[in-house]
Amino acid sequence: MELEQFYGLGYKGSKRFTQHDIPTANATGFGAAADDYMERGIDLNEQLIRNKPATFFMRVSGDAMTGAGIFNGDVVIVDRSVKAANGKVIIATLNGEMLIRRFEKNFNKIRLVPETPKLSPIDVDLSGAEFSVWGVVTYVIHSL
Amino acid sequence: MTAIVDCNSFYCSCERVFRPDLWNQPVVVLSNNDGCIISRSDEARKLGVDMAIPYFQARHIIEKNKVSVFSSNYHLYGDMSWRVMETLRILAGDMESRERTGRPKVEVYSVDEAFMDLSHIPPDGLVSEAKHIKDTVEQWTGVSVSIGIAPTKTLAKLANRLAKKDKAASGCISVLATDAEQRAALQQTRVDDCWGVGRAYASKLINWGITSAWELANMPEEWAHTNMGGVTGVRLIRELRGIAAITMEEELVDKKMIATTRMFGRPVHDLREIKEAVATYISRASEKLRRQESAAGVVSVFIVSKEQDHLANFRQGATISNHTTLPKATSLTHELIKAAVGLVEQLYEKGKEYKKAGVMLSGLVPDNSIQGNLFVPRAENEHRFLMHTIDNINFSMRDDSVKFGSSGMNKDWKMRQALRSGRYSTRWEDLIRVR
Repeated sequence: MELEQFYGLGYKGSKRFTQHDIPTANATGFGAAADDYMERGIDLNEQLIRNKPATFFMRVSGDAMTGAGIFNGDVVIVDRSVKAANGKVIIATLNGEMLIRRFEKNFNKIRLVPETPKLSPIDVDLSGAEFSVWGVVTYVIHSL
Repeated sequence: MTAIVDCNSFYCSCERVFRPDLWNQPVVVLSNNDGCIISRSDEARKLGVDMAIPYFQARHIIEKNKVSVFSSNYHLYGDMSWRVMETLRILAGDMESRERTGRPKVEVYSVDEAFMDLSHIPPDGLVSEAKHIKDTVEQWTGVSVSIGIAPTKTLAKLANRLAKKDKAASGCISVLATDAEQRAALQQTRVDDCWGVGRAYASKLINWGITSAWELANMPEEWAHTNMGGVTGVRLIRELRGIAAITMEEELVDKKMIATTRMFGRPVHDLREIKEAVATYISRASEKLRRQESAAGVVSVFIVSKEQDHLANFRQGATISNHTTLPKATSLTHELIKAAVGLVEQLYEKGKEYKKAGVMLSGLVPDNSIQGNLFVPRAENEHRFLMHTIDNINFSMRDDSVKFGSSGMNKDWKMRQALRSGRYSTRWEDLIRVR
C-alpha cells in the first residue's frame, strides 16, 4: 500500500517513538563483531503510524467492509489528522454509533457505503442526523 | 505573547472521545474510590451538579437526569494528555526550539493545561493562531480546549478564565493584546480568581478593600513587597500589569520525593492486608524511583484510621505516620519494602479500622548502582539487574506481571472503580469496537 495515498506533501506530524534497549550479543560469545553492525530492527510503528498523537487502534466487529479486505475481528489503524476525501475508508459517527464505511461525497451529499451485499449504503441526512468523520482508516491488521 | 491551553472538562472529554452516544450528554467522572465528583461536562453543570462534592450528595440529580457516571480511568487520561501535549509541541516547534536555543516552547503545567510561548507570532496573527491550535488539537485528539493569550502567564490565565465563562460568545478563545483589553479583563476579575493569589491572601486583600484584579494591579510594588510575600508579590503585580515576570520553565523531570497514596476499597483491619497494600505502594514508588535513576535514603509510611462516627463516613480520621532513615540510599524494591513493612508493624493498632495508607520515598540521591559498579559487592549489581528486568517485564506486559510476594495475591483492599471505562487507547483487549 502506497503511503502517499494518505499523506500529502505538506503533511506535518510526529513520528517520535520511544527507543528500546538493544541487547548486545554477548551471550553468544561473538559480541564485539556483531555489535558493530547492530541496528534497531524493524519497528512496525514506524511504517504504520505517521502521526502518533492522532493515531488510534480499533477493532472491527461485523462484516460491513469484507469487500475491502477488512474482516470481523481485524484491527484497523485510524488517523484523525488525515482529511477524509471521497472514496476513503473512514470511521464515521452516526447518531451516536461508530461505523466503518467507505466515504462518498458528491456536492453536498454524503453516503456511507459498506462493502458487502448484506448491507445497503446509508444516505446521510445532514439536516437531521448527528454525523461526523471520527478518523480515516489507514491500515488494517488481519491475521491469516 | 504567552498562551495557556486548557482542556475543557478534561476527564469527561477523554471519556466522550470514544463514545459518540454521549456527545452533548451530561457526564461526570468520580475520584479514586468513586468518592467525589472531579470532572463534569457543561451539560452536567447546567443540571446543578457541583464540583468536588461527594458522589452521594449529587446522586439524586444524577439518577433523575440519567447522567453518565465514570470511575476515573487514569491510563486513558494519561495517554490522552500526552496526545494533547505532543500536538502542542509539534504546533509550536518545541523540539526545534530546544535544539536551537535550549528553550522550550511548551511548558506542561498540569495534566490538562500547558503554557505556550507565542513570541514568534505577530500581534495581528494571534487570534487566527489560537483558532488553528484549538482546531488542530480537537481534530487530532478529539479533546476540546480553551485558549487565553496575553503578554504574561498570569494575564493569560485570566484571559482563559474569561473565555471559559461564556464559551458560546468567546469561541473558547480570548486574546488580551491591547492595554484596553487587559484593563477590561482585570476589572471584571475578582482578586480571589487571580492565578497565584491563594485563599489566605485573597481574604486579606478583600479586607483591605482590594476586590478586583484591576485594583490589585494598581497597588505600588513596594506595598506588594511588604504585604504579599516579598518578591512573589512584586512578580504578581508586574504580571498583572503586563510585564512578564514568570518565564517558561523546563518541566521538573526529577522529583524531590515520590509518594504513593490510595484509599482502600473497604475498611481494613487485618495487619497482613495493610502490609500487602504498603508493599504494593512501595513497588509502584520504587519503579518511579528507578525510572528517574534515583535512590531513596528515607522511607515514610502513614496509615489513616476510620472515623468512629459512622454518619460522617467520608471524613478522615487521624493520620499516624512514621519514617526511617536507611543506612544507605537504595532503589531496590525488596530493601524498601522491608523498611516500610517494619514501620507498618510499629504504627498498627489491633482493633482499629483503616481506610487509607501511603508511602513516601525521600532523601533522593542519584543512584550510582544503575551502571554496574566495580566498587560495590557483586550481589548488589545483580539485584540491580533483577530490578531492571522486572521493570521491563511490567512495562511491556503491563499491570504488575512480576511482583514481590509481600504485595499479596488477592488484593481485596484495592480501590473501588466500579464504573471504569475501557483503556481504549493503551490496551489491545480494550480497543473500541466499530461496526
